[in-house]
Amino acid sequence: MGRIIEEIYVWRLPVRLYHWINALCTVALLVTGLYIAAPLFSPPLGEAALHKGMAWWRYVHFAVAFIFIANFLFRMYWALFGNDKYARFGGFRPWSPSWWGKPFREQMESYLFLRQDEPNYVGHNPVAALAHFIFIFCGSSFMILSGLAMYGENNPSGFNGHLFGWMIPMFGGSYTLHFVHHLMAWIFPFYFIMHIYAVLRHDVVDRTSVTSSIITGFKHKVEEEPV
Amino acid sequence: MQSNQTFADVFKARGVSRRDFLKFCSLTSVYLGLSPSMVPSIVEAMDKKPRTPVIWIHGLECTCCSESFIRSSHPTIENLLFNMISLDYDDVLSAAAGHQLEDVRKKIMKEYKGKYILAVEGNASTKDDGVYCMVGGDSFLNILKETAADAAAVVAWGACASFGCVQNAEPNPTGAAPIHEIIKDKPIINVPGCPPISEVMTGVITHFHTFGTLPELDRFGRPKAFYNTRIHDKCYRRAFFDAGMFVRSFDDEATRKGWCLYKMGCKGPTTYNSCSKIQWNGGTSFPIGSGHPCIGCSEPNFWDRGPFYKRLAEVPFLGSDSNADKIGMVAVGAAAAGAAAHAAVTAAKKVKPGSENNDKA
Repeated sequence: MGRIIEEIYVWRLPVRLYHWINALCTVALLVTGLYIAAPLFSPPLGEAALHKGMAWWRYVHFAVAFIFIANFLFRMYWALFGNDKYARFGGFRPWSPSWWGKPFREQMESYLFLRQDEPNYVGHNPVAALAHFIFIFCGSSFMILSGLAMYGENNPSGFNGHLFGWMIPMFGGSYTLHFVHHLMAWIFPFYFIMHIYAVLRHDVVDRTSVTSSIITGFKHKVEEEPV
Repeated sequence: MQSNQTFADVFKARGVSRRDFLKFCSLTSVYLGLSPSMVPSIVEAMDKKPRTPVIWIHGLECTCCSESFIRSSHPTIENLLFNMISLDYDDVLSAAAGHQLEDVRKKIMKEYKGKYILAVEGNASTKDDGVYCMVGGDSFLNILKETAADAAAVVAWGACASFGCVQNAEPNPTGAAPIHEIIKDKPIINVPGCPPISEVMTGVITHFHTFGTLPELDRFGRPKAFYNTRIHDKCYRRAFFDAGMFVRSFDDEATRKGWCLYKMGCKGPTTYNSCSKIQWNGGTSFPIGSGHPCIGCSEPNFWDRGPFYKRLAEVPFLGSDSNADKIGMVAVGAAAAGAAAHAAVTAAKKVKPGSENNDKA
């Protein structure tokens, strides 16, 4: 291994905390959500009134969901007002054709093995930014809105029912909304695999210690080894 | 029967005592979810207001709404019910037929212009000028438009009129369309269900008669008084759901014990209706009470929402063996396979440039 020639502080503490809380919440939400859709465990013995088998899974799902939402909102705040060079929305302009220009194309070509050299970014590369936008921003937003709409269903005249209930007719009914919520949940394990693979690959190819950077916050530039 | 009779007159003529009349008014206020202080308003309306004429027409339907309606148990005498809502035209229940009956409809439309309620059971075929549903020599589509033009309000009875039901399920060969897609300029109350509960049907009409306004409606145009909560939230088997005690097949011990039918595909958690509160046939039972999962008949397009006995809907365009989990797992598997392939290519590519410029050991 070559000598470390530069140490860059990329992921500040709020970003790292967000990342890990988000990761844990997503896993917990996926597991509890799948359980709610298909409860597997054997029924408890005795009177129903004494047990909370299913209620517990739902309770955890809802409780974690609120942590997930708070964490998501915090990340939105941080992206807009955090003044954090590597965590803000600033550079992400998918509505502008120039954003899709050279950097995006080069990164895409690199992923498709159409070029030899690997473009190097300290923060997110354009393709990664797009993936985060689609899966994390859009995916989470949809899950949060549909989740709150369904959470409000036991009191349609209440706060959640008023604020988010419009999701239900929009998707053609409560059942369809449940179904789409369930279907969309699968984008998270899908994204998880792509994310882990991309991180490991970049770490191996670029040797920027991107894997540990989400724990320590630091990325490294490593000296080219002499032959 | 004079058309300006009040409900009280009708009751009296039929030999119903004042006491029973007041009982009926109290029960109606309970079903409408009104406070006891509103009972006098109902009594007054029933006493003094002339009965609201109702024209009840039938399109593409199975008459199960009418069957339900004539079994309304509060009040208990079906005969009362007919008189109560002043049902002036109903091509299924009327003794008269043919031109005589059609003349009655025309007469009511003229005499009570803008005041009568149009109750529609079933929906209209819209394909090929509505030729797939003909009533009295005209298409039901035309009759519906013609009769709705002068109505004060339109009540869409049942899943057919409200959302389309089985006749507009895929592939909908006759182009059947629910009432709100055909009549745009009238207030419409959707009273879905296949059929709706009889007390809900009488309750809706009584509300209109009492207050002269439509009941408060939810986002799907259903009266909130009856469709504001899910079957699941008032289900007497809810304790078994929360405890995780489920029926797993229709012949197991759990079925005998009456556990939750969630895993048998019960649509109670996503269905808004009053079955678990009012129940059916005078509070005798309701589907879940009889051991059958709810099929969600008061929800839009419930025929197309997957099998009745499975929890997760099938995905229509991907064949009958796909559900959300299978699609998800295939997608995740594809991502994993893609990542593995990409890693392999990365490794293979590295070998070539690696051989000429470095040999990291």
